[in-house]
Amino acid sequence: MNTKSLSQEVKNLEKAQSFLDIVYSQFKENKAALFGAITILIFILIALLGPALEYVTGIDGDSQNVFSRYKPPFTRVTAPQDVRETAIKKFIEQNVAESAKIQTVLIEQKIVSPLRPEDALYDWVNLEKSKAITAMKQVDSTKKSELIKMMSSFETYHILGTDELGRDVLMRLIYGTRVSIGVGILVALVSALIGLIIGSIAGYYGGLIDTLLMRVTDALLSLPILPVLVVVAAIDLKKVLNGFVNLATTIMGDTGTRFAQDLVDHIFSGGKESIYKLVFILCLFSWMTVARLIRGSILSLREREFILAAKTLGATDFTIIVRHMFPNVIAPMLVSVTLGVGESILSEAALSYLGLGIQPPTPSWGNMLFNAQELIYQAPTLAFLPGLLILLIVISFNFLGDGLQDAIDPKTVKR
Amino acid sequence: MTTYILRRILQTLAVIAILSYICFSLMTLMPGDPVELMISANPRITQEDVARLRSFYGLDQPTYIRYYHWASEILSGDLGYSRTYRVPVSEMLAPALKATFVLSVVSLIFSLCIAIPLGIYCALKPNTKFDYIVNLFNFAGISIPSFWLGIVLIIIFSVYLNWLPAGGYQTTGIVYDNIFHEILDKSKFLILPVVSLAVQRIGFFSRFSRSSMLEAMRNDFIRTARAKGMSENTVVWRHGFRNALIPLITITAISISSVFSGALITETLFAYPGVGRLIYTSIMSNDFNVAMIAFIISIAMVLIMNLVADLLYGVADPRISYK
Repeated sequence: MNTKSLSQEVKNLEKAQSFLDIVYSQFKENKAALFGAITILIFILIALLGPALEYVTGIDGDSQNVFSRYKPPFTRVTAPQDVRETAIKKFIEQNVAESAKIQTVLIEQKIVSPLRPEDALYDWVNLEKSKAITAMKQVDSTKKSELIKMMSSFETYHILGTDELGRDVLMRLIYGTRVSIGVGILVALVSALIGLIIGSIAGYYGGLIDTLLMRVTDALLSLPILPVLVVVAAIDLKKVLNGFVNLATTIMGDTGTRFAQDLVDHIFSGGKESIYKLVFILCLFSWMTVARLIRGSILSLREREFILAAKTLGATDFTIIVRHMFPNVIAPMLVSVTLGVGESILSEAALSYLGLGIQPPTPSWGNMLFNAQELIYQAPTLAFLPGLLILLIVISFNFLGDGLQDAIDPKTVKR
Repeated sequence: MTTYILRRILQTLAVIAILSYICFSLMTLMPGDPVELMISANPRITQEDVARLRSFYGLDQPTYIRYYHWASEILSGDLGYSRTYRVPVSEMLAPALKATFVLSVVSLIFSLCIAIPLGIYCALKPNTKFDYIVNLFNFAGISIPSFWLGIVLIIIFSVYLNWLPAGGYQTTGIVYDNIFHEILDKSKFLILPVVSLAVQRIGFFSRFSRSSMLEAMRNDFIRTARAKGMSENTVVWRHGFRNALIPLITITAISISSVFSGALITETLFAYPGVGRLIYTSIMSNDFNVAMIAFIISIAMVLIMNLVADLLYGVADPRISYK
């Protein structure tokens, strides 16, 4: 070995490992945590690519079809002749001129040879799917994409079968991923923020504030969480928001009313109010563990010399807490947020499963189970798949959190 | 010690009182009040009738006055009637509480009986293949949604194998010859709910007992005991396990509350007539009296359990003093 590479090696050994390097190298060795991280990444990717996947497969997750309910996995669903012809009749009625043009082209190109020329589109719609689509692609018309879309919806392949309304299960699972993981991550982040604020105020100021905040935290922690969530989730959002509008009126007068009313209308506009409500409720009851954790860390940090130094230099409380204390509590908080995501996903699924969480038609894994449990006999896969995904994602977050904990905790560092 | 207990009991009572008020005001925010339900039953009702009904039932008064009336009636022993079943709430509550108690206790004992030996065995042989496999199962147990597990168990054992009933409490319309017959019949219905409730607990307890046993075995007095030449059995059970037991007792008592809360879903899924299902069904059917009492009683039970846990903690570990 030549001296140059040897000195290089010595130099590398002498260089201090940064905190992140240590954490990363520890984390890498934990196979389960790595598995968790990769699974989570795949799920997030699928969730983000939902619309793209919908475009590629040509299956609409929302399109219902009463003729093909409860199909088992790997079935090809073909629409019967009358359904096709009703659809094309509707199309012709809506676009009379355009369909006449398309019909002449179809006959000219000898794709169909109907007895009467005005039946050309009816003949086309009963052709085989691939043939019909290639033929239509050559037609020069503004409406051809609509027809192609119609054709592809007549013959669909359902890898995971269909549900009680004939919707594609795979597509609904993909869109459910967005809702479930989105709610889980959002709840974990927001409740971590609440916990951070409450925990640091209680820990830093101590005294009466601390006693008061921690009493509330303990009281909330000791409650049986699921019955509480059920009771709170059953409240009527409209009644609460009406109260909110009235409150805004009394405080700020007319501007308050307008502002509050706009906000309320916005919440109810997208059909997503059950998601907002659920996120709010879950946040309300999941900040306590983080608050306790942060309070504990801040209490011990408060006695450290660098805090005393900052105080002597005249730093404000805000600066001390945010600039000097938060960087020291980030690591344990990261672990607790990661574990919190899994927990939130479970709670969301439980509430949606009981019919109190996210309301259909918005799919979430929980409410897919709610619909499926009635039909265990006819379609067991329908009940099996969403739960399997919940298990997979929650276990991944738990593995990741556990791995992070081991990697961050200096007691377990093997050097 | 006595002052500590007294203070804790007072605190618990205060928390229950505050929660009952919060719960009462939450119920007023639920869709549909009794008069609205009467309106939907009678479309020809006039506005004056509605107003009269509201003032007759006191629904036009503010929440705190209604709460005061309600609470004073509760304290005088009148729990009210169920709107759906037309029976006094107290009559519905007793069997439901008993059913939930049986379910929670059986599943708790079942999970402890499996988890503690498993955790201790893993702690004594850490980082072996067995330890890794158990750890994997623990994670799966913690992460599994209990309602889904219940559905899967029903699919396997009731639909395909047809071994166990899919739900219920006892065979319908059965007359029991003797007590053994009764226990046998009811336990058949209890197996699936107990298992689906216990799996999560097993994962949790097993992880916990492993780590607390590992912690206990790392103590100096273990080394001393070994150095004195004590048998491995004595070291593990007399010195190690007794110290590992202290955190286990607290976590067990605390987890009674989560068993209680998990029972809501399990009971609903298996149509098991416990308090959790009572809360759920009465909320879904706007049966406010039942929902409120069942909710407050289950919360009170959980809080009392926590109190008992705190007191037991001191019994198990004499180093802890109460101030």
